[in-house]
Amino acid sequence: MIEVKNLVRTFKSGDRSIKPVNDVSFELEQGTLASIVGKSGSGKSTLLSLLGALDKPTSGDVVVNGVSLASMPDGKLTNYRRRDIGFVFQQFNLIPNLSAVDNVMLPMEFAGMRKAARAERARQLLEQVQLDPDKHVRRINRLSGGEQQRVAIARALANEPKLILADEPTGNLDEQTGEHIIELLSTLSRDHNTTILVVTHDRALANKTDRRFRLQQGRLTEEPARNRATAAVTG
Amino acid sequence: MSVLARSVGNAFRNKVRTAAVVAVLAVAIGLALAMLVANQAVTGKVAELNASVGTVLTVNPAGGQGFEGGGEPLTSAQAATAAAVPNVSSVVGTKALRLRNAAQIAAEAASGRTGQGGPGGQSATSVTTSLTAAVDAGTLGNRNQASTGTSGTSGSTTAAAPAFSLPITATGIGAGVDSTGKALQLTQGTGLGNYTAASTGALLGTTLATKNGLSVGSTFTIQDKTFTVQGLFDAGTAFGNNALYVTLPTAQTLAALPDELSTMIVTVNSMENVDAAKTALQAALGSGKADVTQGQRNLATAVSSLDSVKNISFIAFVAALGTAGLIILLIMVMLVRERRREIGVLKAIGAPNRTIGLQFVLEALVLVALGSVVGAAVASLASGGIASALISSSSTTAAAGQRGGPGGFPGGQGGPFGGASQLLTSVTASASPGVIAAGIAAVFGVAIIGALVPALLTARIRPIEVLRGE
Repeated sequence: MIEVKNLVRTFKSGDRSIKPVNDVSFELEQGTLASIVGKSGSGKSTLLSLLGALDKPTSGDVVVNGVSLASMPDGKLTNYRRRDIGFVFQQFNLIPNLSAVDNVMLPMEFAGMRKAARAERARQLLEQVQLDPDKHVRRINRLSGGEQQRVAIARALANEPKLILADEPTGNLDEQTGEHIIELLSTLSRDHNTTILVVTHDRALANKTDRRFRLQQGRLTEEPARNRATAAVTG
Repeated sequence: MSVLARSVGNAFRNKVRTAAVVAVLAVAIGLALAMLVANQAVTGKVAELNASVGTVLTVNPAGGQGFEGGGEPLTSAQAATAAAVPNVSSVVGTKALRLRNAAQIAAEAASGRTGQGGPGGQSATSVTTSLTAAVDAGTLGNRNQASTGTSGTSGSTTAAAPAFSLPITATGIGAGVDSTGKALQLTQGTGLGNYTAASTGALLGTTLATKNGLSVGSTFTIQDKTFTVQGLFDAGTAFGNNALYVTLPTAQTLAALPDELSTMIVTVNSMENVDAAKTALQAALGSGKADVTQGQRNLATAVSSLDSVKNISFIAFVAALGTAGLIILLIMVMLVRERRREIGVLKAIGAPNRTIGLQFVLEALVLVALGSVVGAAVASLASGGIASALISSSSTTAAAGQRGGPGGFPGGQGGPFGGASQLLTSVTASASPGVIAAGIAAVFGVAIIGALVPALLTARIRPIEVLRGE
């Protein structure tokens, strides 16, 4: 279970203070597929980076399964990101001189998995995201944007994280592949009890999630969802 | 893909840049290694020179040297005085005799030639021996004989004078060293055992033994007293090998001068104390009674020059090593800045700081390893030239210092210290595997620090700071 408590992130810009995340609180049960929608610059990516321990909040806390991230030292935050979090970045953030399969293997290497086992799992994951087998060993900078997106999704799934944070995961995909990715995320959420929080502009994707949030000027509100409408949202 | 494989791949990510970096590193590393090799070569030479002749003083009677000059002879009491001077570690007395072949003297007497030329203020008494000199008199010997001998004629009968033969120098020594203080180089047999006791043993120069058909165990006579050859030595010169050594008391007895010394060989405990010991020794013995000479003064200048070269090469090594380290640091700072986003991504997906640090260190080591291979080749080619260049300029300075120095060592040995510059130029700088390995280890150590610092500084920042900053 993820509990977000009065989360605030402030940036200084000259004399002004900007709060892309302003007193946000919500809870997500394990296995929930949720989405956050909002305009560009509304603070969606900042909120994701706070949840994924890439950044530290100005105030407030994120509590994951009873453990507070605010009080966690850097070393444990690294472990948390390695074991419990899978990121899909908007810009993919893959290592350009490595192959697709090497990129997917990286988180498993950091987790200490044996080479043969991680190579096999990387291959399976790339097949799941429908990347052509002949492109598995191709360097990232020789893949298209959509293919890189799929490699990024496969990498996020590598260590079977409890929480997947995806920033526009279908943004660069064609409609058919996007549908497949949405289906894949739904399956993970449903069958593997993985919590998935997706930032998206894609209404189709947002409509398929269990819960739907809107972030506007740093404040989060929950919208009625297609599947389930559990409120308890403030801010 | 392992960290190592990833690091190797990263090292060759941009091949043109990698080649440029390796070339720059190779120059710096090569220079550092060349300087280290030169430093080691010079250090070895300095130690060798210091160990061989660096601390010996020679004391002669005031106004006399060898068989030349005049003045009062040295005594055993003066040897005891010398031994009590601070920083003097040993005093070895010598007593030189001139041996002449008994049959030759008899022939000269029969022909009317009366005796050998007087040996100045030293022993005027001819000591007879059964040995024949190994060196023919030749033009120089006969000329010397004519100028110093007192050829006389008796009666009106003109008899043909027999061919002049050179005397043989017999030296009584108080320890197993030659007249320059260096250990005797025995080619056969043993030493004389206790050099401070009378003995019937003798050590012969190789050519003298050959000339007289003697070997270890053979016997010969001095003053009708039988001596046994206990060893043969090689002095390295024809003059030096036409000589023999007996124990000091034996020589004093043969000369019938039991308390008298020809020279004293004084060894000082370290080269730094030689000047002070010389002054103290001269004061203790009295300037009117003894001349103290510092045979290694020329060499001291040379060693001092070598010390300068050693220091310069060491400073240059450290500077080149520092330059290599700075190059690595700057390259790694550049690479780390260029890959800040990549570091952020690695952190975001759970890479520990040590893994990121290790990756950049390994990448730096790959570059340094390549630079070291090329640099070692450069060093092996350049170190000899660099050492020669450093030493030739140094020996010029040393040679200038020698011109005002004292004369050669007594005894006509050709001035063993006169060729200090030769000693300097005989330094050979060879790139030994041990020295190269030590230099490369130092470069690797610097590379590790140079790579770790920027990588860890970057790895410490929050991932979002580098991801957002791009």
